[in-house]
Amino acid sequence: MSHKQTRWAIGILGTLGVATMIVLHWMVFFWVPTESTMGIVQRIFYIHPAAWWVAFLGFGIVGLCSAVYLWLGDERLDRAAVAGAEAGMVFTTIGLITGPLWGQVAWGTWWEWEPRLTLALILWFIYLGYFLVRRTTANPEQGKRFAAVVGVIGVLDIPLIHVSVTWLRSLHPEAVILNPESPMNLERSMGLTFGVGFLAFTLIFACLFLASYTVAGYEYELKLRDANPGGTQRAEA
Amino acid sequence: MRAYVALVWAVARKDLLVEFRTYERLTAMGAFTVLVGVLFNFSIDSAVVRPQDIGAALIWMTIIFGGILGMGRTFRLEEEDGALAGILQSPIPLDALFLGKVLGNFVLLSMMAALVFFVFGLFFSLSFSGNPVVLVAIVGFGVLGFVSLTTLFSAMATRSSMGESLLPVLVFPLLVPLVVYGATATQRLFAGRPVVEVSGNVRMLAAFAVLFTVAGAWLFRFVIEE
Amino acid sequence: MSFGLEAIGLVRNFGGLRAVDGVSFQLQPGELLTVFGPNGAGKTTLLRMLAGVMRPDSGHVRVAGAPADIASRDWRHRVGIVSHQSLLYGQLTTTENLMFYGRLFGLTDLKTRIPERLESMGLSDRAGTPVRELSRGLKQRVALARALLHDPEVVLLDEPYTGLDPYASAVLREQLAALKDGLRTVVLVTHNLKQGLELADRVAIQVRGRFSSVMDSVSLDLTGLEALYQAAVENPA
Repeated sequence: MSHKQTRWAIGILGTLGVATMIVLHWMVFFWVPTESTMGIVQRIFYIHPAAWWVAFLGFGIVGLCSAVYLWLGDERLDRAAVAGAEAGMVFTTIGLITGPLWGQVAWGTWWEWEPRLTLALILWFIYLGYFLVRRTTANPEQGKRFAAVVGVIGVLDIPLIHVSVTWLRSLHPEAVILNPESPMNLERSMGLTFGVGFLAFTLIFACLFLASYTVAGYEYELKLRDANPGGTQRAEA
Repeated sequence: MRAYVALVWAVARKDLLVEFRTYERLTAMGAFTVLVGVLFNFSIDSAVVRPQDIGAALIWMTIIFGGILGMGRTFRLEEEDGALAGILQSPIPLDALFLGKVLGNFVLLSMMAALVFFVFGLFFSLSFSGNPVVLVAIVGFGVLGFVSLTTLFSAMATRSSMGESLLPVLVFPLLVPLVVYGATATQRLFAGRPVVEVSGNVRMLAAFAVLFTVAGAWLFRFVIEE
Repeated sequence: MSFGLEAIGLVRNFGGLRAVDGVSFQLQPGELLTVFGPNGAGKTTLLRMLAGVMRPDSGHVRVAGAPADIASRDWRHRVGIVSHQSLLYGQLTTTENLMFYGRLFGLTDLKTRIPERLESMGLSDRAGTPVRELSRGLKQRVALARALLHDPEVVLLDEPYTGLDPYASAVLREQLAALKDGLRTVVLVTHNLKQGLELADRVAIQVRGRFSSVMDSVSLDLTGLEALYQAAVENPA
């Protein structure tokens, strides 16, 4: 893709994403009927799992691109991994803010060691480590590889973390107050709102991902130009 | 295969030889262990909480904190006078180098873990009537998993401007399964629960240890080479 | 005609910067090549590639006319390195250090080999001394014994005189001169013109990753070399 096409793609994804997000919020607040058992607070449910989905999608991209980057050494994979981590961290942060809001009303406590919330918190710290190791390593080439190793180890560990926190939770059955997956009176309009939520978040994620990836590409080209002022050696990684 | 094992052992043996000449890491970890035991003792109000109830949990936290302290220095002694560059120039495969480092650290951390159990058992009057083999398996797999992850990441931390303070930030989130399965199993054994109740934990700890030892051996090359 | 050590078009980039830019040379067995150059000229990178520690982006190496795979583990058995750092463990004794390195190279006759080497280098009475208690000069002698323990065909010397007093330098010079036994090929890297020229059969000046022509040292005296060096640094090819 040329620079111009990429900018168009980012613009279109962003516009569509914001538009869908506005529609989603209109649906959540004015259109979809209130769920009978949980009441008004259930409406966050249209936003929350969608934010989760892209947070994990981000980490999936980090793990996959990191592993292949270590294997092939292609700079573009490293940029894709960083873009995935940046976008993923944004949404993990959103999830960590909206999660307790939901919990306060649904469970009556701000923080509950509910497996998904716990996993998100840990995921957030793995992302933090990913960026820290990248930024604090003196040799930037090494920093990229170190971060990729954190990404691969993280993605290997996440299933184990998930299993372990779920298991730990199962030891305290009395603490499970509400399972978000328990049968709700899902009307068709609710299912539709749910779908729009996933679409909105995925579009915005794609927009952030592509923007971050492209900016990193520009930075790389600029660095090459600074390193070779004559512009004779155009080493495309 | 025999040559490979000999290489792994050569690295571990050299690390242990250095350690038993200076006792730097063992002293740091040992003193940390005992002092933390003392501080934990003062921090518990025995009118409200029975120390025996939380003793086994504190054991795991102490092993992890003390372990981070010692493991963070894994590659410090290699950086001195370029010794690591010398190893990297030799024909040793990098996975063998990693496994040798892990083996050396495993021995050191196992010694520290034994000390932790002894000291905490004494300070918090813990009594153990369970199956010692199962306890050894739990701690052994736990220590192996811990050592594999920290050895891999301490090679990174050594080259970061944050130094060893980066290590806990990188490793603690990843240790969640280890703490969950290791600490609960230990507490159950100390509470006199039957072995069946912890056999699942032992399997998960073994899986964790094997997964990250193998992954570490593969990923180490990307960490250690410049 | 086959050469002892032959490098053909070695290139290495660092994130867009070309550290070594098409270096070629040919050495007869027994010859010593000194590479001069200012800091940052890529001398160490060149040496690290010859040692097999760093992979060249392009170019290759031949030994005795046969292609040598410098990326292979096998190549390591044929190279020995002395650097400005001793590469030794200060807490371990001379013998323990050599034992460790010998084991890394898979040597089995260390019990006899090490005392022999220490004897021939005048280190026998230091066999049981921890290396950190040795003077800088003695330490460098142990480092040399370490580099030669596995009888490499190619010896690489990276600023070996750094930190040595005049006496220790003279002793080391004697021992390096003894390397030229007609079988080994030696590459010495330094920015000290006098010390580099003393032992050299051939001389190269490396600036910004490139070699100026490789010259016979017979036709060079120190003044001539100084003039050439000055010219090469001021007007890089």
